[in-house]
Amino acid sequence: MNTLNCTAAEILAGAIALGEAGDEQRHAYREHLSTCRRCLTQIGGEREIERVINLVAQVRDQESWQPDVRRALARVPGRRRAWRWGAGLAAAAAFVVAILATQRQAPVVVHGVAAPDLKAVAYLGTQAVPQRESRAESLAFTGAQTARTTITFQVKLDKRSKPMRCTVIKHSGPAKLDMALCNAVMRAR
Amino acid sequence: MDRTAIAQRRTEVLVTEHQTKLARYLRRMVGDAEVALDLTQDVFLSAYRTLQADPARELRVGWLYRAATNAAISFMRRRKILHVLPLDRDLDRSAWRVDEHSAESVDLQAALARLPVEQTAALLMTSYAGYSSSEAAQILGISADAVRQRVCRAMKTLRHVMNEESIS
Repeated sequence: MNTLNCTAAEILAGAIALGEAGDEQRHAYREHLSTCRRCLTQIGGEREIERVINLVAQVRDQESWQPDVRRALARVPGRRRAWRWGAGLAAAAAFVVAILATQRQAPVVVHGVAAPDLKAVAYLGTQAVPQRESRAESLAFTGAQTARTTITFQVKLDKRSKPMRCTVIKHSGPAKLDMALCNAVMRAR
Repeated sequence: MDRTAIAQRRTEVLVTEHQTKLARYLRRMVGDAEVALDLTQDVFLSAYRTLQADPARELRVGWLYRAATNAAISFMRRRKILHVLPLDRDLDRSAWRVDEHSAESVDLQAALARLPVEQTAALLMTSYAGYSSSEAAQILGISADAVRQRVCRAMKTLRHVMNEESIS
């Protein structure tokens, strides 16, 4: 007689997926499935469970990404930037000021915005977009301790002043930085 | 040897041994390599600070995974609120497409994005990172049965998405 409820069947199915179920448990699960159409449809039999879980294992086995955390850590002055809310908002504010200033055609230098903080801007997004079509922007970023870099980019806007395309005209060096800037601009929709 | 030197040396060992697996795990959690790398660095920095404060403390790999999971969960919750990160980064999504030429092909990254973070963590902690349900339970601070149940529910959604994809 089937004494399992659906919650217990879920736990057994999880155990089967992880290869932790014994014969007795597998038998109990099979018995439950024979009387529970819902579990049969939603979870499926043992083969189905293994098929789904194997896809994840397959991805793991095919993984080739080799990140170098040590190198990334060494690049960061003062050990690590923090894209916490405070820093992010401060960077976003600096970014907004910079964009507004460029509308007056003046060269803009944003001091104290380290490159990693730009990423915080990207995360937070910003509604600051130049309200003209196809104009070039140039921003200079000076890290608190080390490098200084300039990115020149062009944003194409549609009729509603929404950014359509961002093109980096002058690269800063690190492609990630260029991409983060364009991403921030493109997100301001 | 002073505290800082000890902490540095021990963190070095942790980074050498676990950086790849941890970063890959985080990448699958958040669906973005760059963010995963950032979070991985945060985890190791947090380990460094912990060891600096208490050089005698024993930091095992489970501690790293717990910190990583918490970091990923809070990142994903924040992302959900802000809606600012693009969900269509081709780079990572293609890496998740398994066996592209067969009928089994499925975009697992997109499927994972539809899971609650707790289920994603349980699924990846076990079937991806290779922990048993008891080990994952200790790391996640829940019971082993809860881990199994979350894995099952995650599979239900994955299966549903796979069926949707094969129909479309």
